[in-house]
Amino acid sequence: MASVSDAELKNMTQEERVTALGMRTEQLTGKSLYLEFDPDATENFTYPWAPDVDFNKRTELDCDGKTTTEVNSSIRALMKEGYGTVVLKNPRGMHSLGVGILSRLNLIVEGSTGYFAVGLIDGPNVRINGRVGWSCGENMMSGTILIEKNAGSTFGAAIRGGDLVCRGSVGSRTGIDQKGGTIIVGGDTGALSGFMMQRGRMVVCGNAGKNLGDSMYDGTIFVGGEIKSLGVDAIEAELTDLDKAWLTRKLTQYGLMPDKGVDHFTKVVAGKMLWNYDNLEPSEKKLIL
Amino acid sequence: MADGDLPKKPALARDVNRIGNSFIFPPAVMDDIHIKSELGRYRMRGFSLFKKIPHWDDLTFLPGTLTRFVIEGYREKCETKTIIGPRAKKPIELDIPVYITGMSFGALSYEAKTALARGATMAGTATCSGEGGMIPDERRYSSKWFYQCIQSRYGFNPNHLVLADGCEFFIGQGCKVGLGGHLMGQKVTDQVAEMRSLPAGIDQRSPARHPDWLGPDDLALKIQEIREATDWQIPIQLKLGASRVYDDVRMAVKCDPDSIYIDGMEGGTGAGPHLATEDTGVPGMAAIRQARKAIDDLGKRGEITLVYAGGIRNGADVAKAIALGADAIAIGHSAMMALNCNKDIPEANYPEEVGAEPGYCYHCHTGRCPVGVATQDPKLRERLDPDAAAERVYNFLHTLTIEAQLFARACGKTYLHSLEPEDLAALTMEASAMAGVPLAGTNHTVGIADYHHL
Ligand SMILES: Cc1cc2nc3c(=O)[nH]c(=O)nc-3n(C[C@H](O)[C@H](O)[C@H](O)COP(=O)(O)O)c2cc1C
Ligand code: SF4
Repeated sequence: MASVSDAELKNMTQEERVTALGMRTEQLTGKSLYLEFDPDATENFTYPWAPDVDFNKRTELDCDGKTTTEVNSSIRALMKEGYGTVVLKNPRGMHSLGVGILSRLNLIVEGSTGYFAVGLIDGPNVRINGRVGWSCGENMMSGTILIEKNAGSTFGAAIRGGDLVCRGSVGSRTGIDQKGGTIIVGGDTGALSGFMMQRGRMVVCGNAGKNLGDSMYDGTIFVGGEIKSLGVDAIEAELTDLDKAWLTRKLTQYGLMPDKGVDHFTKVVAGKMLWNYDNLEPSEKKLIL
Repeated sequence: MADGDLPKKPALARDVNRIGNSFIFPPAVMDDIHIKSELGRYRMRGFSLFKKIPHWDDLTFLPGTLTRFVIEGYREKCETKTIIGPRAKKPIELDIPVYITGMSFGALSYEAKTALARGATMAGTATCSGEGGMIPDERRYSSKWFYQCIQSRYGFNPNHLVLADGCEFFIGQGCKVGLGGHLMGQKVTDQVAEMRSLPAGIDQRSPARHPDWLGPDDLALKIQEIREATDWQIPIQLKLGASRVYDDVRMAVKCDPDSIYIDGMEGGTGAGPHLATEDTGVPGMAAIRQARKAIDDLGKRGEITLVYAGGIRNGADVAKAIALGADAIAIGHSAMMALNCNKDIPEANYPEEVGAEPGYCYHCHTGRCPVGVATQDPKLRERLDPDAAAERVYNFLHTLTIEAQLFARACGKTYLHSLEPEDLAALTMEASAMAGVPLAGTNHTVGIADYHHL
């Protein structure tokens, strides 16, 4: 609550609590709802942690013999001390490495990680020299993640912002439920990539597996190679000059620009037939079987 | 009538020539077929199941008489404190055993969500975000707040996750087990769409499977990820729709959450296919018993909390669910009724606005809620005064608690959670078999040879 804390509420009598929470008739009349919170109030509202870090302050952290929790809390402790560049050595396929970092940070992972690498992040710039397991960069809000080798399935599941880049190939269901941001794959992607995609862009320089963009609500997928098949309600669209300029800029930025340029990319968008089921013509209704 | 005439014999109300009526195809079923053959799709609705199933009314309490000692109402204490996730660094401590379940902003209006939050805070209990992300004011009004990690991940934000007192994984809901959420286009306003990163006005059918994990092995890792992101502070709860409860809960326990939430088939929804609400899941009394057994069999009693929701209407239902083995209770639709759902308020004109009389409305999915609860329409929302509504929610939660206490005291318990299956008897064979309590007046529990060696 705004003006009273949980702890204070606990110590109050029921009568005091009623008053403190603004439940008295005098306070209730006039619909106090929109005015109740004090602009300076922070509890239950402001984001609790955003340390000020210096990118030039660099340190290494050896993961050997440590648990994930120890590594993750060490990262936080280092950030608190102002370290802006952290190099993780010997990650050895650890799960949930570097998740939940909600602040600026330059994170370099020298090796490969397990599931959920750097998921739930908002801000950091991450470089992973090895491979990553399933669901890397899951639900990321902003920042960049660059993976040098291959990635597992559900790469960038439900991401909402930032750039998630894999130089190698990725598994299936890449960018499932994507809600924003950009996913870039240097190699191939597996089946059902872009499943139920909502927003954002996905670029695949190699080939795409079957059912690409199945049931996508919106968003754009660019594929450089072959598409095995398109999913329900995913359709090809014309590659505009704007798209080409954007692709050129993004791919150059990550050193993934193909020698033959970007003219050969296929653009896939939502057919928008499934937006409102009632609008379907009788012959179209079989679409969703 | 002239003097002395005998009264005319009235005609029979029934048609004696009629052979009979179809039980399989009563008029309502025929109407349904007529409508669907025009529509070409399943019919959506809100509310919960309509058909009769073995329910809380089929159980009765066996209070103390001479063999048991009763506790004085009001004068002697009957503790109601409830803890969800005792192993977590910061368990959720509730003053009462009932909290408000997750109902999305989108399904409910801003006013309804904040009124629920304020009422719950008054009563010393928790609320839950539901699908579709956090509205900051709900968080601020709630002293204890669950954040839902649902399949669609609509609006899921790690910055909001760290503000939560608990994280609930939605895996299924009792009303439509195995299906994702639904929100019809009428309710996907610009604001709701923006929170969910969707185009406005579409019929939103959420995924039924999580994007980043598939089976229980992955889920165990996913739980770890959330724990890492929240510094192992808050309880993690898994919400399951009741189906193969014993096996599902064993799997869930293996994933090592702090709490397991079972939603019985009585559970409500904001929008779902009519048939799914009728024909999926198992009743709460069976689900609680099986879930309790699974948790106990794996030696996790007292470590992993069991929360139950679905069809809870009054304090007797709360007490019965607790007696069967639930540690805490969540309520959805009955809290909406405290907000005014189905009440004939002066501003509302039910027949004109939704085509049903007050008391018979199940039209949450249309977004035309006549009382401003399940809608996004600014005109309709004005009909809900959040201040008065908050007070009603508080009153209702308080009532549920004192009613439940009444049964606990009568059964001789000084702690509400001391209620046990032994305090119950069943009124029907079905209830006896499902709830595993003896048929009233007998020593016989249907399906169990020797009750004491259950
Ligand atoms: C209007 C409404 C919206 C709901 N939205 C959600 C939701 O977003 N997420 C969720 O897990 N359950 C949702 N539910 C289901 C409830 O959390 C809960 O499972 C159910 O309502 C409990 O049954 P009861 O209503 O009989 O108490 C919703 C229910 C209703 C009535
Ligand atoms: S009154 Fe409103 S909340 Fe209640 S069933 Fe009707 S539409 Fe839903």
